Amino acid sequence: MNIYQPHLMRIVEITDETVDTRTLKLEFKAPEMAREFQFSAGQFGEYSAFGEGESTFCIASSPTRKGYIECSFKSTGKVTQALRRLGVGDTVGFRGPYGNHFPIEEMKGHSVVFIAGGIGLAPVRCAIWNVLDLRDQFKDVTIVYGARTVGDLVYKRELEEWSRRADLRLCLAVDPGGETPDWKGEVARIPSAVEKAVTTAEDTFAILCGPPIMIKFTLPVLAKLGFAAERIYTTLENRMKCGLGKCGRCNIGATYVCKDGPVFTAAEMGRMPQEF
Amino acid sequence: MTQRFLSHADLAALVAAHKRVIAPVRAKDDARQTDYLPIQALADAALGAALPRRSLKEYFLPPTEVLLSYRQTKEGVEIKEVPTQAQPQVILFASPCDAAALEVVDKVMDWQYRDELWFGRREATTIVGLLCSSMDSSCFCSAIGLGPDSPRGSDVLLTQVEGGYLAQVITPKGEALLAHCAATEASAAAVAQAETARKQAREKVENNAPAIPNEFGAWLEENFDHPAWKTMALRCHGCGACASVCPTCHCFDIVDEHDSSEEGVRRRNWDSCQTAKFTLQASGYNPRQSQSERFRQRIQHKFSIYPKRFGEILCTGCGRCCRVCAGGMNLPEILGGLIALAKKDQGESGQ
Repeated sequence: MNIYQPHLMRIVEITDETVDTRTLKLEFKAPEMAREFQFSAGQFGEYSAFGEGESTFCIASSPTRKGYIECSFKSTGKVTQALRRLGVGDTVGFRGPYGNHFPIEEMKGHSVVFIAGGIGLAPVRCAIWNVLDLRDQFKDVTIVYGARTVGDLVYKRELEEWSRRADLRLCLAVDPGGETPDWKGEVARIPSAVEKAVTTAEDTFAILCGPPIMIKFTLPVLAKLGFAAERIYTTLENRMKCGLGKCGRCNIGATYVCKDGPVFTAAEMGRMPQEF
Repeated sequence: MTQRFLSHADLAALVAAHKRVIAPVRAKDDARQTDYLPIQALADAALGAALPRRSLKEYFLPPTEVLLSYRQTKEGVEIKEVPTQAQPQVILFASPCDAAALEVVDKVMDWQYRDELWFGRREATTIVGLLCSSMDSSCFCSAIGLGPDSPRGSDVLLTQVEGGYLAQVITPKGEALLAHCAATEASAAAVAQAETARKQAREKVENNAPAIPNEFGAWLEENFDHPAWKTMALRCHGCGACASVCPTCHCFDIVDEHDSSEEGVRRRNWDSCQTAKFTLQASGYNPRQSQSERFRQRIQHKFSIYPKRFGEILCTGCGRCCRVCAGGMNLPEILGGLIALAKKDQGESGQ
């Protein structure tokens, strides 16, 4: 089996998150893969719709949940549209896990702030469930999540569940104009929501994913709160083909997102050429 | 390193003894040009003619190749693997810049994940290099630290001498190739003649471009935002011809081709960082929007990124990119300009 050959997975569940964003729950067809497959929060894979090609997404489920993986994607191109045409029981290809991961081990014993915008919740969700499944090993957990409109919020059932939990603080926000009459969350952009919801950086790690513009304006807020750039983690989503460091597409200067990332600290990103 | 003498007849016998031999052959469409193509007999090979138009890359990383085939039915998907073992082949009269390039690209192909398709072909191939005598004003192998007589990447390196060839045996694979050949011990006269030929060849190319300084890669990295990048690529059309003839450019795309209602293949195709859509993201955002950014990537990758990650310059100075460029972009000239800028910076910081 050459390194470009995917494993076959069966779609066991489909969840529509928004009008154009879908989550697939996948199980390995080969029993030994189902048994032995391991990954860490933040790693990614190459998912294929046979006949259309491969696309790069993070693994959106937590490594603490065994026997399956989930991916969430927005239908934008050929592959994502083809993946959307597939139904429960259909086959997709998967190569991975690739890349580095969030420092879950290092975060143990500390507080964690999760910040996500739009579909950026997918990689953060993986880390959130990883932390929540080992909840007693962490101090305070805060989640700040926002989207343009209420309709763009993903993982709504889980947002419900998190809002009822006493062991975490959840702050939901939508952009001004994106709220509905019954919206109970904040009407604010992510940086202001973070400013309001997060009060201290003491003994705290931050994990932050979302559109580049959100990252750009949230980083100064975190810096002002006192977060060291080494304690702010985010993921980069450059275009990839192989995921293995060979196709030459995802690099930012000498940094390969597929091999050195996709998880980077704000400090590492500050040192990269600003070409992302 | 052992040195042997091979007569023309010995070499002809060697070609005849192997099923698949690839060598420079006169191009059908242009007798002044050559291409690396399979030959039946030694007489088919064009000796000492122009550097082949394309490098040896296509014999290891074909312009298009099947990574797997699949059959998709209502019951599911079946994948048919492609073999990773290749047919044995001999490449004869390889240009030293092309032979060296294979060893350079080996590094990325073995980076954590081993590309068995590449290495399957590498392992099945024996490379017989030939002292280069076809250099022109675009060649700059010596600036990279190689040369027309570089043994790098060759299993055997030949130098033409009176009545035949002096063969330097470089690897055990080269030893094995010559084991069944009537090669004799090289005479002192042949060794001396070859040495003179190598010296003359080096002199022909040495003045084409200045050597690339060791600290050049670090300077490029520090000067990612240098204003010089903005104007450097004004003549670049972004066609990617440079990458397709380059012996070290190895970037690729992976696509599916659905052949019938049920069957199809997944292919890898050559691609180039010089094309506009190379880094275009699904959202419509492109981190490298202008040709100058894309050209900077090409230079940075070859002379800074690859050296930083693998300790090697991703260029062997073959000069093909200059020969094919419709916009007249000339790599040694561009490098010369950048090196001058780097030296100027050094001079200023030293004052």
